[in-house]
Formats: sequence, C-alpha cells, structure tokens
Amino acid sequence: MKLKSIFTTASLSVASFSYAQEAAPLQISGSVDTYYKYDFAKVPNIGTSFANDQNSISLGMIDLALKKTTGKASFVGELSFGPRGQYGSLLNGDGTDDNSFHIQNLYASYAFTDKFTVTAGYMGTFIGYEVIAPTGNFNYSTSYLFTNGPFQNAGIKGAYAFSNKVSLMVGLFNDWNVYKDLNGVSHIGAQLTVSPVEGWTAYLNVLSGKSAGAVGTGTVLDLTTSYQVTEKVKLGLNAADYSVTNDGGGYSGAALYVQNAFTSAFSLGLRGEYFNWKGVAEESDKHVAAVTLSGNVKAGGLTFIPEVRFDNGSSSDMFKKKNLNPSKNASQFALAVVYAF
Amino acid sequence: MKRGWFVVLMFCTVAGFAQDAELPFDERGKFIYYEVVVQKDVPAVTLKERAAKFFSSSKELKLKTAPQDSLWMSRGKMVINKTAFVLSRPSGEVGYHLYVDFKEGKYRFWLTDFSFISYQRDRYGSFVPETTVAIPLENKPGKLNAGEWTAYSKATAREARLFAERFKKGMLESAINPPTAKAVPSVDTKNQKW
Repeated sequence: MKLKSIFTTASLSVASFSYAQEAAPLQISGSVDTYYKYDFAKVPNIGTSFANDQNSISLGMIDLALKKTTGKASFVGELSFGPRGQYGSLLNGDGTDDNSFHIQNLYASYAFTDKFTVTAGYMGTFIGYEVIAPTGNFNYSTSYLFTNGPFQNAGIKGAYAFSNKVSLMVGLFNDWNVYKDLNGVSHIGAQLTVSPVEGWTAYLNVLSGKSAGAVGTGTVLDLTTSYQVTEKVKLGLNAADYSVTNDGGGYSGAALYVQNAFTSAFSLGLRGEYFNWKGVAEESDKHVAAVTLSGNVKAGGLTFIPEVRFDNGSSSDMFKKKNLNPSKNASQFALAVVYAF
Repeated sequence: MKRGWFVVLMFCTVAGFAQDAELPFDERGKFIYYEVVVQKDVPAVTLKERAAKFFSSSKELKLKTAPQDSLWMSRGKMVINKTAFVLSRPSGEVGYHLYVDFKEGKYRFWLTDFSFISYQRDRYGSFVPETTVAIPLENKPGKLNAGEWTAYSKATAREARLFAERFKKGMLESAINPPTAKAVPSVDTKNQKW
C-alpha cells in the first residue's frame, strides 16, 4: 500500500513536470530597496523623487512583476508596495487614497509579425533616461528631468521595426500618470529608435496633448541615448524640453551620465545635470545644476549604492541651511541597498 | 528491494551531478562541448545538406562561413533562465561559437567561446541585455559574484547539452524526411446506422 502511494505520488510529479515543460513559464521578477539619506543641512532639501527622508533608514518599495507570453500574445502586470511606489510615484486607485499599491505596468501586447507589435494598457513612460524601479537606474537619487517628466502613460501604441537598427513607435495616450483620462484620450506620442553602431542606441521622443485642466497644450521633446564606449566605460545623455502653450510654463534640461566599471563587482558613475523651470506667465525662469557621484557594488542580486550629491540653484531660496535660512546650495549623502530577483 | 532502491538512488545522484557539471576546458583554456558522431554510410555532402537545413530552420544560429567549406562556423546564443517549479525568469544570455566539421560517414561539432551578458528588467517589465559587452564565461569574477557565475556556467553546460541533442536529432535522416502525419481519426455521424 505504501509503495503504491509512493508510485502514485511519483507519477503525479512526473505528470506535473511534463505539463510544466509544455507550458510557457510565467516570469516572476522584482526588486526590493531601502536607503539611508543624510542631508548636510540636516533638513530634507533636494526635492527630486524618492530618497527624501532625512537621517532615517527608510523604505523604497517592493516591486513585483509578472509576465506571461503565449504564442504572439503577452501581458505584463507590475505592482509596487512601499513609499517609493505608494507615495513617491503617483496617486493610485481613485486618487483619494494614497496608501495602497501602485501599478507600474499593466498591459497586454500582440506581435502581429516579427516586426510589428501593438500594446495597450498602462506602461512605464517612453520619455527619459531614468525609471521608477531602482534596478533600472545607476544613481539612487533621481534627476530633475525624471522628477518633472512623465512617469507612466496609459494608451495604445504600435511599434514597427524597419530593421534591427531602426524602429518607430506611435501611440495615443491619456494624460500623464493617470489610470483613466478625464478629458478623453488627449495625447499623441512617438518614439524613433536608432542604433547606428553596436553599443549605441538613441531614442527621439515626442509626447503632445492637452491635459485635463491645463491652460494649454503641452509638448515634450526628448532625446535619450547611451553608448557603451569600451568594455568599462558607458556614456548616457538625456536632453528634454517641455513647453505648455498660453504661457503655461514647462522645463528644459540635460543630464550627462558617465560610468566606469572598475571590476565586474564595482562601478562608479557621475551624473551632471542642468535643469531649468520655465516661468509661468510673468514669473522668471529658475534653474539648478546638480552633480551626483554614485558607486555600485554588486554581490549577486544585491547592489549597494553609496552616493554623494551637490545641487546649486539659481535663486537663494531654492534650498535651506541648517538654521532654515534660504540657501542656493544643498548636498547630501545616501546609501541604498537594492535587491533584484 | 533495499538494494534496488539503492541502485535507483545512486543513478539519480549520478544523473543529478551530470546535469550540474560545468563543461571541460579545451587546450586554449576555454569551455568546450565536443562530440564526434558517426553516421555510417552517410556521405559528407548529405551530412552538410542536413546541417544546412538545421541551420536555416534555427533562428538562434547565424552561419559565418560559406556552405562549401569543410569546417563550418556559426554564432549562436542561448538564454539562461532562473527556474523554480513552473516559474522562470531570464537572467542573461550566453553567446557561443558552433563549429561543425564533416567527413565521410561522420561529423564532429563543438561549442566554445562562451560569453555572458546579464539581463536587467527594462521600464516595461521585460528582460533585456544590460550591456553590449559580453564577458567570457571563463573569466571568474571576484568572491562577491562567484556563486551566481558558477550557476551561469552550469546552466550553460546544461543548455549546451540540450542543444547538442537537438542538433544530433536534426542531423538524422528522419529529420530531413519526416514521416507523413497520420490522419486524425474521426467519427462519421451522418452515414451511421443506429
């Protein structure tokens, strides 16, 4: 009897294994991050996204992503829990409760051919160099370009690959960063991707439309490019301009990324950024220059990111001193731990 | 009975070890999967035809030499997955060179020059290469990443063995002239007397 049950269990195990072999596997991946930040003025100062808590070991988020492909169809569902997703990214749900999970990606796509794919749903934005998930960025603190640009876009888009060096995406989108659009599908966007030589990819992006309640039509033009110069050295550049008609303001800026891998486990990266806020109506412009030096120490799926950052603004009230008087400068140290699985 | 279980257990242990072994090194110090396959009475030209068919049907292989050469070289890549039960996610890709050498009644092939590119998740939740620079699999990283690297190396050995099985199957005559599919039995409900 005992032997019979052993054989039954074994048969079931083999059957399960055979099934698993036939079915396309469900991909589960994600990340976890936490950080410590110390602003040298002893008050939270630099207002870019995430890593804002002063002198505190604080949480980033746990990010969980599912992906499944069956034939030509696939879906991605990615949710994040924790301050980086819940408070740092966007409002969630109906916009009244800011303490639940946050959707990073939720879309389905269908590859009509090897070259043409249509995708619909809520997706990470195609604009810009940096992303919400800490695993996608070299520096832990984010750039002003990232913070002021779109995070996500809901919409429908078609992407066509003319060759392995050139492809084009065109899509219709909601307002930035909303699960549903209150003034209809109001934005049109496009991305031209070119890869002239191995290791170099450039994205030319445009996103234009009138958001609900906006005074005018906003158009963001964005160049994002990266080049693996040598085995160790990588360069990246992000330049963008955002303008809203009818004196609605906007921004412009550029960020240069230089990274060097000293060993397979240790890299250093420098980000230099210049960012300008366009004044609304009669207001004058304000700008800031920021330099961020980050290390990446990798051990398996774990990455330690020690980082120092110096920001210098155009107006004296942009940051605060220790005594809370206004200051043109700010500087901070951060140590982040990111685990990817 | 006890002895029987012991033999089964030993077999499983050996099979498990064989699955997890890294590839041996060649004379250059590179990992290699090497095999000589005898197909008696099959001319070299026929073996080449079969290999050509295999290469043309494979998306992962790009032939880098002329078909009339006696030694073929192609570039291929295999995706390394982290797997647990029915869940899986790609952790990187391994590029390699495949060499095939033909003679009358036999051929030999070897996979070598393995190099690894790690994957990372992009903004859309898809896994994409982290860089364009591949690291030779023989280049052991420091202590911090040694465990993960060994896992890549073992997974590469596993994938190389699976590829070898597919290739050898493709080089058999039955792969060129597959048996015609049997008609699917159907039930005629209109002309039945009941």
